[in-house]
Amino acid sequence: MSLILARIDDRLIHGQVTVGWSRILQPDQIVLCNDTIAADPWQSKIYKSAVPPDIDVSILNKESAAVFLNNLPLECKTILLVENPEDMFDLVRRGVKIDEVNAGGMHHSNSKYEMFEYVYVNRTDIAYLRRILNSGIPVNAQSVPGVKIHTIDKLALDAIESIMP
Amino acid sequence: MINGLVVTHGELGVELVSVVEMIMGPVSGLTGRSNSGKSVSELADEIKELISSDNDCDTILFIDDFGGSCANAAQLAGAAGSSTRILTGVNLAMLLDFVTWRETMPIDELPRRLVEKGRQAITSMGPVQEG
Repeated sequence: MSLILARIDDRLIHGQVTVGWSRILQPDQIVLCNDTIAADPWQSKIYKSAVPPDIDVSILNKESAAVFLNNLPLECKTILLVENPEDMFDLVRRGVKIDEVNAGGMHHSNSKYEMFEYVYVNRTDIAYLRRILNSGIPVNAQSVPGVKIHTIDKLALDAIESIMP
Repeated sequence: MINGLVVTHGELGVELVSVVEMIMGPVSGLTGRSNSGKSVSELADEIKELISSDNDCDTILFIDDFGGSCANAAQLAGAAGSSTRILTGVNLAMLLDFVTWRETMPIDELPRRLVEKGRQAITSMGPVQEG
């Protein structure tokens, strides 16, 4: 399987990915799927500069990313990064084959509720995480290799939603 | 594998180690120590004890500033030897590279690499041009 990590992380390309995960997974490339950044050459350049020279990087909007990911060469080990569950589900809806979703960084902001130290959700996040689960794809929270893995299943989503006003 | 010991003023070293773990996941054999409230000789004793507690492993000491009490304590502990090395000017890039290479590179070669990586990480960033 060439897609070795499909990660939701609002920090996108940063040390946990380029050092933490890359040390263990040894990816050939990183695909950053984000409509806003893909449309902005300046932001794209900044994110590209954060990737070590031995790893290729493509910054694509959702439409292009889906085509790109659906045609990955088998031997090309790829890390996929998206900002939020909505973008991840969009790729699933477009037929991208994902074995498992890694929730690696969904940081605190207004009206979000804490599931884990590095995973905060609002109702929109919950709705799209449910759709990902309903597509038969498990979702696990894990910030970096070696730390405890938390399963984000339907029960966990029901539980966090039940404490929301 | 080579052990790492980060000895600094205040909680800098302890926090550097915790940031390394935040980025790379749990790391064994990398310890942070503070000089707070300790005389140079007390700190030297502490370093000596930490180094000798694992005789099977080489150790690299990471110190914040050359010429400070931590560097002096490291020298007094006799840490600059064949199985232990002292590097000053510790930064995050050095430590990340240390964790990446300490299992495969020998103690004779790793310090030079870490000094170079640490220096490379110090840059004056210009603005990224449009387009």
